Amino acid sequence: MHIPDGFLPATVCAAGYVAAAPVTWYSIHKINQKENPREGVPKASLLTAAFFVVSWIHIPVPPTSVHLVLNGLLGAVLGYFAFPAILIGLFFQAVMFQHGGLTTLGVNSIIMGLPAVVSYYIFRLRNILKKDSQIVTGIFGFLAGFVGLGLSVVMFVVILLNFIPASFDIETERAAIYTLALAHLPLMVIEGAFTSLVTVFLQRVRPKLLDDA
Amino acid sequence: MKLGIDEYGHLSSPLHRWDPRCKFIGLMALVFAFSFVRDLRMLPAMVVVTSAIYIVSKLPVSFMLTRLRYPSFFLLVVVLLLPFVSGHTIVMSLGPLDLRQEGLVAVLLIATRFLSILTVGLVLFGTAPFLTTIKSMRALGLPVILTDMALLSFRYLHEIGDDLHRMETSMRLRGFHERRFSKHGLGILAWLGGSILVRSYERSEWVYKAMILRGYGNAGRQQDEFRASSRDIIALGVTLLTAVGFVAGDILI
Repeated sequence: MHIPDGFLPATVCAAGYVAAAPVTWYSIHKINQKENPREGVPKASLLTAAFFVVSWIHIPVPPTSVHLVLNGLLGAVLGYFAFPAILIGLFFQAVMFQHGGLTTLGVNSIIMGLPAVVSYYIFRLRNILKKDSQIVTGIFGFLAGFVGLGLSVVMFVVILLNFIPASFDIETERAAIYTLALAHLPLMVIEGAFTSLVTVFLQRVRPKLLDDA
Repeated sequence: MKLGIDEYGHLSSPLHRWDPRCKFIGLMALVFAFSFVRDLRMLPAMVVVTSAIYIVSKLPVSFMLTRLRYPSFFLLVVVLLLPFVSGHTIVMSLGPLDLRQEGLVAVLLIATRFLSILTVGLVLFGTAPFLTTIKSMRALGLPVILTDMALLSFRYLHEIGDDLHRMETSMRLRGFHERRFSKHGLGILAWLGGSILVRSYERSEWVYKAMILRGYGNAGRQQDEFRASSRDIIALGVTLLTAVGFVAGDILI
């Protein structure tokens, strides 16, 4: 779900970087407001690498298998570090696997990173309810994963259809949006379920990991 | 696990010897100029410049072909789909499908830009050790938190990848062969993912302590290790002029 190089005009690519810059700045600003901002750097770095690796886990969905995006889980666990972590993860993917692109890095980081921040706020709502309840954590974990991927899909489709150098009539565009949204609905449920299971697992094994965000 | 974007970083070519900061600015400007191109008449020039850069870099063709394997799938989908759904001018009818001129033009533009940008990107990151390139980005003013995170993530990516590989092997040896989707299987895979996160979190605590012991955050930053010669600056100037030429050419033609 990353837009490759060459698909978007330079103005949109530049706008992506311009939009990503203040979000990155805001994230770093919030990190620097912490008591010991440097303490979070190794944790966020290793978890960035870990998320990158966990996204390689393939979930069997016959006749094929899917890999997860995990931006909702990233938001839930990393908080304000999620956006820089996604930026770095996408940079690695573009450079090492040619998945995504260098010119579209800003746009892709907005597509994946903003929903991660939204997921962080959604997951934080569990603090208002019973934070220690596994059911509450599971429900908000599901919502974080589901909404994280859902928002990314909507942004991906809207940007691609509006800015790719090709002309579509309204009917084709609408059909493409509905088809892609429907195709991703089962994936959003799987992503939500996976995020829910992982957050409950983390709450049982290492609750500090969820509380640090 | 081998990620190997810089496996040919040790070769000797003018692009390998180019100051990494100048190379980063020059080639990034060029890829943005490529993404600016909308006129088909600029595409041959784009192909010539890209080919020249790749030849000068002395990177093997097999390296590029290997790297094209994954992204070419996305490109293939576009090539097969766009000529039939984009535009109104029908060039040819293939049974129930109409081949449209606007779609064909879009495919040509997207495919050439995509391949050119990807090739120049490979030269940018394939002609120097990856860590040197990240350090050059820090020297160019990228926030320290971002570069520190990138360096540390890259450092531990291989180890965490090996952890996952080992744990998956252990799961298979203990009889986990999930071929169908099930709640039980998803739960086990979630625990696998969670275990990777917990292990990485614990490792990060040791890493932080080790970094503190080595003075992380206290010592002044080292001076830039890069030094650009006049030849590097001239090469940067030529590359920037080429990038400007693409933008100007596309506007004026």
